[in-house]
Amino acid sequence: MISRRALELATAVLTGGFGVAVVVQSLDNGIGWSSAGVDAGTFPFLTGIIIVLGSLYNLARGVLPVATLANVPIAITPIELRRLAGLFVPAAIFVAAIPLAGMYVASALYVFAVLAIPRHQSLPRALAMAGATALALYVVFERMFQVSLPHGALAAALGF
Amino acid sequence: MDNLGELLHGFSIAVTVPHLVLMVVGVLLGILVGVLPGLGAPNGVSLLLPLTFGMQPVSAIILLSSMYWGALFGGSVTSILFNIPGEPSSVATTFDGYPMARDGRPTTALATAFGSAAFGALVGVILITFLASWVAQVALAFGPAEYFAVYFLAFASFVGMGGAAPIKTVVALAIGFAIAAIGIDTVSGSVRLTMGVDELVKGVSFVVAVMGLFGIGELLVAVEEEFHARAVSSKIDWAEVFRAVGRLPRHGVALLRSAAIGCWMGITPGGPTAASFMSYGIARRFSRRGRYFGTGEVEGIISPETADHAAGTSALLPMLSLGIPGSATAAVMMGGLMIWGLNPGPMLFVDQKDFVWGLIASMYVGNIVAVALVLLTVPVFAALMRIPFVVIAPLIVIICVVGAYSVSNSYLDVVMMLGFGVIGYLFKKLFYPLAPLVLAIVIGDKAEDAFRQSMLMSKGSLGIFFANKLVTCLIVAGIALLLLPLVLQLARLWRKPAVPAADTTAQEKVII
Repeated sequence: MISRRALELATAVLTGGFGVAVVVQSLDNGIGWSSAGVDAGTFPFLTGIIIVLGSLYNLARGVLPVATLANVPIAITPIELRRLAGLFVPAAIFVAAIPLAGMYVASALYVFAVLAIPRHQSLPRALAMAGATALALYVVFERMFQVSLPHGALAAALGF
Repeated sequence: MDNLGELLHGFSIAVTVPHLVLMVVGVLLGILVGVLPGLGAPNGVSLLLPLTFGMQPVSAIILLSSMYWGALFGGSVTSILFNIPGEPSSVATTFDGYPMARDGRPTTALATAFGSAAFGALVGVILITFLASWVAQVALAFGPAEYFAVYFLAFASFVGMGGAAPIKTVVALAIGFAIAAIGIDTVSGSVRLTMGVDELVKGVSFVVAVMGLFGIGELLVAVEEEFHARAVSSKIDWAEVFRAVGRLPRHGVALLRSAAIGCWMGITPGGPTAASFMSYGIARRFSRRGRYFGTGEVEGIISPETADHAAGTSALLPMLSLGIPGSATAAVMMGGLMIWGLNPGPMLFVDQKDFVWGLIASMYVGNIVAVALVLLTVPVFAALMRIPFVVIAPLIVIICVVGAYSVSNSYLDVVMMLGFGVIGYLFKKLFYPLAPLVLAIVIGDKAEDAFRQSMLMSKGSLGIFFANKLVTCLIVAGIALLLLPLVLQLARLWRKPAVPAADTTAQEKVII
C-alpha cells in the first residue's frame, strides 16, 4: 500500500532532483550577461531554480496534514499495485530486450508472454496474436513506410 | 470579406478526392484512438506524425486535424455507452450521457452529444475564419519583446485558469522548459543539460514525451481500475437521431453559452478538458433543471460536449496566428508544422495562404465527415470495447515503443519514453497537469529565444517589456493571471478563516 503522502513526497523529490541537476548543469554554460547577450545557461538556470522552489513547496504541502490529503489517504492499494506491476514490469522487460532480440522478436515474445502466462488466452490464440503483431509491424513499417525497426544483436549474429 | 474569398479558395483545396480520403482515414483513426483507453488525441497525432513527413504540408495537416476531430468524437462514444471516458475531455459527458443511455435512450444521448459537439466545433471554426487572419495581422507587427509577452501570457493563463494546483502547474511548466533546453542551444551553439549523455545532444523530442506521458501514463492509470465494459445497446435508431438533433435548438442558450466558454478556454490555453468541466458546472448552476443533473439531463450532455469541441477547435487559432498552441494536441500539431518546415505564426497567413485556408476549410468539411462517420460506426467501435483490456494494453505499449523509436531511430528515446510514462502516471495520480508540460517542451525554445533577443535589443534591461502599451498590457495581464490563484486563496481565507477548503478535491478532478 502506498499512501498519497508518500507518493506526493516521492514525486516532489523526483522533480526537485531534476531541478537541482538542471541548475548544476546550466552553470557549465555560464549564467548572466556576456558580450554575446544572455548566456546560454541563464534560462535553464532560472527554470531549474523554479523547479526546485516549486518542488520544495509541493514537498511541504505533501508532508503537512492538509484536509484534502486526508480525504484520500491511500493513493495505491496493494491490488492496484499488483495490476500496475503486471503491466509495467513486462513492458520494461520488453524494452530491455529490444537491443538483443530486435523489435519484431521482442514484441512477439512480449505479446505471447503477457497473454499466455497469466492464462488470459489459450496457447494457440496467444501464439497467433504474437505472430500477427510481429507481422503487422513488419508490413506497416518495413514495407509500407520504409521505416527500419531495430533487428537486434541476435539477428545480426545470425546474419540478417 | 477578404476572408470569405480566401475561404472559398481553401474549399477548392480541401474538397478534393485525395483530401476527402485523408479526412475519412484521419477521422476513423481518430475515433479509434478516442475509443481506446490509453491512446488519446495527443499520442494519436504524434504517432501519425512520422508518416506525414513525405506529404504536402496541407495534406498532412488535414490528416492530423481530422484525426483530432475523430478523437474528440470517439471519446464521447465510450463515455456515453460504457461510462468510460476515452479522452480526459469527455469525462464530463459521462455524468449525464451514461445515465441517459442506461435508461434506454442511447441513440438520443449519442445524437445529442454529436449534434451539440458539431455546433461547438462550427462556432470554433467560424471564430477561426473571421478572427485568425486579423490576429495574425496584428501579430505581424510584433517584435521579440511582444512575442515573449504573449508566451508569458499563455503560460500564466495555465497557472491562473488551468484548474490544477498552481504550484504544480508551475513545476510542470518549468520541467517542460528545462527539457526543451536539452541539446544544442540555437542561439550560442553550445551544448546544454545533456547530463553527460552524448546522445542527448539531439535534444528530447516532444513526440517521445507525449508517447510516454499520455500513452504509457494513461495506460497505467487505466489498468489500476478493474475494467468493466458493460455496454448498453449500441444500436442506432436513425429516426431518433433526427428527432434528437431537431430538439437541440430548444436549448439554444445552453449551446451558445457552452460554445462561448469553449472558445474562450481554447484560445487561452485552458484546453478542452477544463472547458467541458467548467461548462458542465455552470450549466448545472444556471439550468432550471439543475438539480436533475447527473440523472440523464439533455443539457448535461449538451454543455460539456459543445464546450469540449469548441475548445478543441479554437485551440488551433492561437497556434495558426501566433504560434502558441491552445491544447496539448495543438502543441503536437505545431511540432509537426515545424518539422514540415513551416514557421507557425503570423507569417503563415502571408507565405502559406493555401496551407492556412485549406486547413480552415477542411475543418468545416472534416467535422461534417466526422459526425457522419461516427454515427455510422458506433456499433463497430462499441464492439471493439468488448476486446479484453489485457489484449489491448500490450498492443498499445508496442505502438508507443515503435512510435518513440521511429522519431529518430534511437533506442535511448524508447527508454526515455518509458521514463516519461512513469512520470505521466505519477503526475496524473497527483493532479499535476500534463498539457503545460507538453506545451513548454514544444515552444520552450521559441519563448527563450524571444526573451534573449529582446534582451539583446535592450542591452540587458528588463525595461523593454514595459516599453510600449501593448507589451505592458500583455505582461501585466500575465502577472495578474499568475497572481490570481494567490488572490483567490487569500479572499477565501478572509471570508471564512480556518475552514479547510473542501472544494479543492472537486477542483482537482478538473485537471487533465
